[in-house]
Amino acid sequence: MVSLLKTTIKVIGDSKACRFVFISCLFSCLLFFTSAFSSESLFAQENSECFECHTDPAEVGDKVRVDPVTGEVELVSMLVDEDAFHASAHGGEDFYCIDCHADLEDVDLEETEGGHYPNLQPVDCITFCHDDPAETFLEGSHANLMREKGVELPTCKHCHAGEKSKMFTPKADDLYHRMDTIGKCGGCHTEYYDSYRNNLHGQVTALGHVDTDIATCVDCHGQHTILNSSDPESTLGPENAKETCGNCHPGASGSFLKHIAHPQYKNLGYYKSAVVGLLNIRKDPGQLGSIIKSPQIILTILFVMYVGILVITFAQFGTHMLLSWLGTLLDERKGKDSKHDK
Amino acid sequence: MTSNGNTTYLRFGLFHRFGHFLIIISFFGLVLTGMPLVFKDYGWAHFLYNLMGGYPTAGNIHRICALITFVATFLHFAFLAFETLVRKNRNIFWGPESLLIQPKDLLNILGDILWFFRLGKRPQFERYIYWEKFEYLSLMWGTMVMAVTGFILWFPVQSANLVPAKLATFIDLPSIALVAHRYEALLAAGFIFSIHFLHTHLLPENIPVDEAMFTGRVDEGHFKHERGAYYERLKEEGQLEELKVPPASSKAKFVSKLMGLPLLGVGLLMVGFMLSSLICSLASVFVDLTKNIHFDIFSIFAF
Repeated sequence: MVSLLKTTIKVIGDSKACRFVFISCLFSCLLFFTSAFSSESLFAQENSECFECHTDPAEVGDKVRVDPVTGEVELVSMLVDEDAFHASAHGGEDFYCIDCHADLEDVDLEETEGGHYPNLQPVDCITFCHDDPAETFLEGSHANLMREKGVELPTCKHCHAGEKSKMFTPKADDLYHRMDTIGKCGGCHTEYYDSYRNNLHGQVTALGHVDTDIATCVDCHGQHTILNSSDPESTLGPENAKETCGNCHPGASGSFLKHIAHPQYKNLGYYKSAVVGLLNIRKDPGQLGSIIKSPQIILTILFVMYVGILVITFAQFGTHMLLSWLGTLLDERKGKDSKHDK
Repeated sequence: MTSNGNTTYLRFGLFHRFGHFLIIISFFGLVLTGMPLVFKDYGWAHFLYNLMGGYPTAGNIHRICALITFVATFLHFAFLAFETLVRKNRNIFWGPESLLIQPKDLLNILGDILWFFRLGKRPQFERYIYWEKFEYLSLMWGTMVMAVTGFILWFPVQSANLVPAKLATFIDLPSIALVAHRYEALLAAGFIFSIHFLHTHLLPENIPVDEAMFTGRVDEGHFKHERGAYYERLKEEGQLEELKVPPASSKAKFVSKLMGLPLLGVGLLMVGFMLSSLICSLASVFVDLTKNIHFDIFSIFAF
């Protein structure tokens, strides 16, 4: 190559400037080729470069991750399913891994000996892309509580499927989304999930029908600005409830808005608190008083009464039926015996 | 009076059989579309609910069947009004032919309890046996509760506003209606599909189907054995001949079996599902209650 170079230079002539340009051109070409054929000096910029390792089980494995919100420790696979990624909402042509995993931008894979540093920052969905829903989310009860308790904010991924959320999915009206939401909210709010399942809304959705005219969690409590229902500003505040309930029940007003969407009569904790209130009646009569004054008490009394009626009815008629069966059979046998005697 | 078994008497007229038929259709429709909602956590409920057409359809079937029940109830009360007001028939409310509990029924219950323990003969029953009266009265009560609560659930906004706003923080009508509707339904479905079936259709002498409600006819031997006092009274009063009818054709018997048996099967299947689900639910409540108690049976070997 060097001899070739020398001969070409001789042929062209000995202009110093010309020689400089030519050499620098060749040098850059050389640099380009070496960089293209060696895997050691990559910049992690293209998706294909990430997939090179992250689709190969031999290169990457599981990693321990501590959930920033709940503190749970879990094993997360670092493998990425390429097909699933391209089918996801963030798998389009103009999306790059480093758009979300922004702290990997300009990481020189050569410096870090073939891999990048571990423990990436949590993905920031808000700042550059989804600032619109995030603004309302940050006003909600979730964000406030997290700030007060000093834990990190629940990331969007806590509720949304993150890289697994499907492409072109209509958001609020999608049945898969609506079903998924109940489980997601119910995962933390287990008590409210159980009581929701005791209500007619929850009964129908439990059977797999989540059409838009049956209330799931978000239909009543709102989607991103989720405020505690005791907050007058919330979707269930005295002013807003008319509209919230009225979406499905036209003309909802007055007494209808006092509906108990979360009946407690099947909650063991409710009965425990009633017993505790009864035991503490001398020290703190208000404890039992608040239980008695709540609208749950009528439902609970009715429920307990019906359980009693059911038990008594079936015990009594069941016994009666068995005994009359036995009696009839014995009578028949007796009749046969007497016929034989004759 | 020959007792060769060929003499048959009319027990239920066409009107009553038609009423029973309406109640059968509507009751099965109501139970099959309503019960899955109660046992929503179990696979059979999902299957059944989807079989009945899923979310809006099953609910509509439920409402149509409710309206059929209303028709049957209306017919029944119209019949009662006609009998008492036009025909001046007092036997409906008092006397041996009445469906209401009579003093003699209490004696019959005592007699039956003695009979259970082989301390006496079975009492002779009148036209309606005491447990049939209980079934009738509970059907009346149940239909009333289900109709009222069902209408509240059908029109929740309008019915909730019947309660004044001051009381509404304490009395939530749709929720109360839901609890009452759900457990009254469990009571009704459980009662009809187990106690009613076993008391009438699956008795050793009637098994598999008591055809009297479908063909309307009973033969003499059965009549005498089942309702002796009624038979004797009719004989004395000379009304027995009026009730004599030609025996049911084999076609009518076949049709009544064809209709009765699948319904019986479905009903018993439902009872099986409900009972097994109940046992599962109770087991999970038990596990829930005892999950904080750690008892290691092998700890006895530590000593």
